[in-house]
Amino acid sequence: MSKNRVTRRQFLTYTITGVGGFMAAGMLMPMVRFAIDPILQTKEEGDFVQTSQKAAEITEVPVKVDFSYEQTDGWYKSEVADAAWVYREGDQIVAISPVCKHLGCTVNWASDPTHPDQFFCACHAGRYEKSGVNVKGTPPLGPLDMFEVAENDGFLMLGKKIANTHSN
Amino acid sequence: MNFKVTDVEQFQAQKQFIDTAIVPLLQLDFAEQGMKQSSSAGEYLMSLTNFIEQQFKGRIMLLPPFSYTVNTKSETLPTTIEQELKDAGFKSIIFVTCDHSWTEFKEFLNIIWLPPIPLESMDKSVKQRILEDQLKQVIPNLTNIWV
Ligand code: FES
Repeated sequence: MSKNRVTRRQFLTYTITGVGGFMAAGMLMPMVRFAIDPILQTKEEGDFVQTSQKAAEITEVPVKVDFSYEQTDGWYKSEVADAAWVYREGDQIVAISPVCKHLGCTVNWASDPTHPDQFFCACHAGRYEKSGVNVKGTPPLGPLDMFEVAENDGFLMLGKKIANTHSN
Repeated sequence: MNFKVTDVEQFQAQKQFIDTAIVPLLQLDFAEQGMKQSSSAGEYLMSLTNFIEQQFKGRIMLLPPFSYTVNTKSETLPTTIEQELKDAGFKSIIFVTCDHSWTEFKEFLNIIWLPPIPLESMDKSVKQRILEDQLKQVIPNLTNIWV
């Protein structure tokens, strides 16, 4: 019995290590959190944003759907306005990002009268097929990005940007 | 492009494409009756020029607004800025303002004057629509300068 008795010294050592451990954990946890927080946040960006576009009203002709979400940069919170060109392809809805792959202007559907079935970038006359694939010989070097799409209560929802799935 | 490091780097590498500078000219009025109106015009000018930047990001660089008061205003300001920007490699320099007095410089400078619209009282979607309408009015000015 006396062999297993915890001496005063041992007791103190255990307690201090224990408390010290908690203190260390208390200090480390926020650090770990800060370190992995950016990873957690990208997950949030993947969330879907509700739009006011009724899914059933989407036809084969691309229409522009505006949406906005909140972005935090340091302490500065701002509302970011974004848009997508949306159309139906078979039983699927396609959402194309309007950001030109050349230098980032906003492209429009059918705004060039000589190419009424293409996306047109007014900045340097960049053109894209309806699928978002860039037309060779115009400045853009890659296809327009796409958005993940979903439906909620009959309304279109847009998710994160993904690489264009149409191949040239 | 905006006046920030990553965008400026792009400008320096792609001057042949990013050839236009947009310079907002903003009058600040601190008088009791004028301050609110002046801030409203400022908000409108910033929203609109930011929207123009978003639409034509690859072709223009939006500079921070040049602000002045009645007493610090200088008639030579735009011509001086224009020259400095030309030296920096911009082909066209466009001034956007809600201050009507600049319209007398229209003959030798690209000045787009717009009557201010009080956006602060509007909700998001109305605001967006108004800005789009305003942008449509500005686009012919831009294309005239570009062709
Ligand atoms: S930014 Fe679209 S063609 Fe240059």
